[in-house]
Amino acid sequence: MSDYKNAGMPPPSREFSRKAAIVGVGETDYYLDYKAERAKAPGYEPPTTEGLVLTAFERALAESGLERGDIDGLSTSFTYGGPEPEALAQMLGIKPRYSIQNGNIMAGPLPIACAAIAAGKCDTMVMVYSVASRAIGRQYGGSTYAGAAGAGAPSSYYYYLPWGWSSQAAHWALMFRYYQATYGATEADLGAVALQLRQNASINPNAVMQTPLTLQQYLDSRYIVRPLHLFDLCVVNDGAVCLIVRRADMARDLPHKPVLVAGWGEAKVKNDKMHTMVRERLRPIMQDAGGQALAMAGMDLAEIQHFEGYDASSIHLINQIEGFGFVEPGAGLKFCQEGNMAVGGKLPVNTSGGNLSGSYMHGWSQIVEVVRQLRHEAGPRQIAGIQASMSALVQTDQAHPIIFTRGE
Amino acid sequence: MSQSTSPSREKRPDRALGAGHDDFWAWCGKGELRLQHCADCGKITWPVALACEYCGHTSFDWKRMSGRGKIVSWCSFERDYYAGLLPIPWMTILVELEEGPLFISNPVDITEQDIRFGMPVAVEFIACEDSAGGFSLPVFRAA
Repeated sequence: MSDYKNAGMPPPSREFSRKAAIVGVGETDYYLDYKAERAKAPGYEPPTTEGLVLTAFERALAESGLERGDIDGLSTSFTYGGPEPEALAQMLGIKPRYSIQNGNIMAGPLPIACAAIAAGKCDTMVMVYSVASRAIGRQYGGSTYAGAAGAGAPSSYYYYLPWGWSSQAAHWALMFRYYQATYGATEADLGAVALQLRQNASINPNAVMQTPLTLQQYLDSRYIVRPLHLFDLCVVNDGAVCLIVRRADMARDLPHKPVLVAGWGEAKVKNDKMHTMVRERLRPIMQDAGGQALAMAGMDLAEIQHFEGYDASSIHLINQIEGFGFVEPGAGLKFCQEGNMAVGGKLPVNTSGGNLSGSYMHGWSQIVEVVRQLRHEAGPRQIAGIQASMSALVQTDQAHPIIFTRGE
Repeated sequence: MSQSTSPSREKRPDRALGAGHDDFWAWCGKGELRLQHCADCGKITWPVALACEYCGHTSFDWKRMSGRGKIVSWCSFERDYYAGLLPIPWMTILVELEEGPLFISNPVDITEQDIRFGMPVAVEFIACEDSAGGFSLPVFRAA
C-alpha cells in the first residue's frame, strides 16, 4: 500500500477541473449524539473515532451504490488523532491501492484527493474525517487544552497569553468591534446571522440546535468574549463525515447525480496578520483564493447560487460573504437581515445550519450540504434549480474555497 | 497562593520564552518597548519571530518604540479560560503603535464605558509573575 502524508495542496489548474466527482456522502447522527453526550445517562460511553468513522462510511457506501471492491483509495483526516490508514482499511473492509493521511480540516483534503484521482493513483477514493472534541474535553482557549490531545495552542494566539488574550472567539470579537466602528453595526444587527442559521437548522433533523431562536434570546444570551454572545460562536460536537470521490467519467449511472469538483483556491496571510484579520477581515486572501477557484472552474462569481461558509462565528460568515465579493464590504449584515441568505433569497448560505447551529465538522459537513443541494435532494431546504455552489474554509489567516457543479 | 509570590506582582499566564522572546522581555524589564527591526528590509516584525515576516531575513536589531499609539479594537473575556487566574470580565485592547505594528495588550484605568476608537494611549510597565518568575509587562494608559 502506498502511504503518503499530505504535503500541501495542488495548485489550482484547469487540468484538474471536473475530473472527479463526489458520488457518496455519509454523516453521523449529530443531533442524537450531541443529546446523548449532554444527557450522559447511566452507562453512557463517549463515541470513538473508529465507531464514528464506520457509521459515516457505511452510510456513504450504501447510498453511493458502489461495493467495497470498487474502492481503491483511502484518505484519512483526523483532527485529534485516529487510526493509521492500514488499520482503518482493515476495519472498513476495503483494500485501497493508494492511501493518504490527508490533513484534518477541509483546507486541502478534497483538492488533494481530486489531484490523486486525476493522476491515476486511484479511481474511487473513500475520504473519512472524524472529530471527538467533546469526548476529549476540548476547550478552544486558555493556556493549554484539556484532554488527551494535549497539543499546544496554535501559534496565532499563544503569544498573547501574558495579556490574557486567547481563544478563537477573541479573534472574531476584535473583528466585530472594528466592524462596528467602521460600519455602525449593532449587536442586534449581528444577531440576524445566528437567527438565520438557526432557522436553517430548524428544518434539518440532523442539526445539533433546532429550536427556533428569537432576537431577544440572542441578546439575553451570555457573552463569551464581549461583544460576542454564546450564539455568535459555533457549536462543539462529535461526529464523522465520509465522502466517496470517483473519477468523473466513472461517476455516471450511479443512484445519485454526481457532484463535480470544478475549482479550488488557496491563499494565506504572509505578514501583518493582525491588520489583515481585524481591519481587512481577510478580504485580500479571499479575493485571491476565490479568484483562483473561479478561474479554475471557468466561472464568474455571479454563477454561484449557494454558499457554504466556515461560520466559526457569525461575523466570520459575514466576512466571507463580503470577502469573496458576493456583497460589498459593510453590506453583509443588511443582506442577511433582508433574508437574502435564506433558501429562496439571493444567495442561500449554510442551508443546513452551518457551524453555528448545524454541526461543527471543521468544514466537512458544509461539503455534504453542497452535495445534497446540487443533487436536488435537500428536501424542505432545497434551493430550486441550483447548478453551482461554493464552499469555503476560511481560518484566521488562510482561505480555501472550492467550487462544485451539478454533473450529468 | 505560594509564599514566594510577591503581593505586588500580578499573576499571569506563561509567556513564550526562548530565542528572541528572551530579548523582548529583557528590554521590557528595563522599561523599554523594543520590537524586532529587520536589518535588511527595515520592517518591524511582531510578535517575536526567527525570521522577518516580510523578507525572511534572520538578523534583527531591537528598535525602541515611542510607546505611543491609538486604540484600534478591544474585547472583554466573560468566559474564564484561565481557571481563576485572571478576574472576569477581563479586558484586552488592540493598539496601533506609532511605528505601525498592532499590539495586543491590557488597558490601565480605561473601562469598557470610556474606551473609544482612536483613543490615544501610552505604554507603561507593570510588575507581573508567571511560572518562570517575575517580568515587566507592557500595558497602555490613556495619553
